[in-house]
Amino acid sequence: MSIDAKSEPAAEPVVGPEPARCPFHRWAEDFPIEWEADHYVTRRELTKFLTLGSGLLVGTTAAVAVVGLVAKPRSFPERKVASASAVAPGGSLLFRYPTDEDPCILLRDAEGELHAYSQVCTHLSCAVVHRPDDQVLFCPCHHGFFSDREGTVVAGPPTRRLPRITLELRGDDVFAKGVEV
Amino acid sequence: MRDRHQGTILFTAFLWLIGISVVIQLWLLAAALDALLAGHREVPVSAAIASLVLFLVNGGLLIFVLSFDRRIRRADDAKRK
Repeated sequence: MSIDAKSEPAAEPVVGPEPARCPFHRWAEDFPIEWEADHYVTRRELTKFLTLGSGLLVGTTAAVAVVGLVAKPRSFPERKVASASAVAPGGSLLFRYPTDEDPCILLRDAEGELHAYSQVCTHLSCAVVHRPDDQVLFCPCHHGFFSDREGTVVAGPPTRRLPRITLELRGDDVFAKGVEV
Repeated sequence: MRDRHQGTILFTAFLWLIGISVVIQLWLLAAALDALLAGHREVPVSAAIASLVLFLVNGGLLIFVLSFDRRIRRADDAKRK
C-alpha cells in the first residue's frame, strides 16, 4: 500500500500554549504610542522650546547693547600714586586706583618710560606680575602674557587687554588721572 | 502616517538649523558682553542686530512647523470622519 499524503486526513491543529511573543509585545499593549508619533511630537515641542530660547537670547543681547549705549562714561579722581624716582628702569611698584579695591601696577620700561595698568588679569582676575627681561606682564594662574608697553595680550587665554591707568608726571610726582579699558 | 514621517524628518532638519542658530546667538551674547567690558560700545549693537536676524529666521521656521502640524491634524481629522 502506497502512502499518499493527499489521502491522509488533515492533521488536527495542535492546541497548547501560545508561541512565545516578543517581550516588548506587552509594552506595546500597555503603551499604544508609536515611535513615529512620539518623535513627531517631541521634535515639534523642542523646536518651540529652542525658538523661545532664541527669543530670550535676543532680549539679553539687546539689553547688553542698551546698557552699553546708555551707561555714562565713568569719571575718575586724580590721585598721586608714587614718586617717579622710586621706580628704577625695569622696576615696578604696586598701588591702588581708582578705589582701594583696585590693585594696579606702575612700571618703568628699559627706555625709562613709565606705564601703569590694572593688576587684575582680564581672564580670571589673578594678579599679574612684571617680567622686565621679557618685557611682559605675566599672569601665573593660567600663563597669560601682556605687553608691558601697551598692556595688550601677547599670549595665553586672556582676550582683553589690561586696563591702562592714565598718568601725569608733575616734577617727581606721578599722578593717576583715569582708566582706559 | 506618511505625513508624520515626513514631518519628523522635517522637524529634525529644522531642529538642527535652530540649534545651530541658538549656539551662534550664545556666542554673540558672550562676544557682546566681552566687548562691553572692553569699552567697545558699538559691538553689542551689531551683535544684537545679528541675534535678532537669527531669531527672525528661527521664528519663520517655527511658523512653518506649526502650519505643517496644523495641516497634518486637519488631515487626520478628515480621515477619522
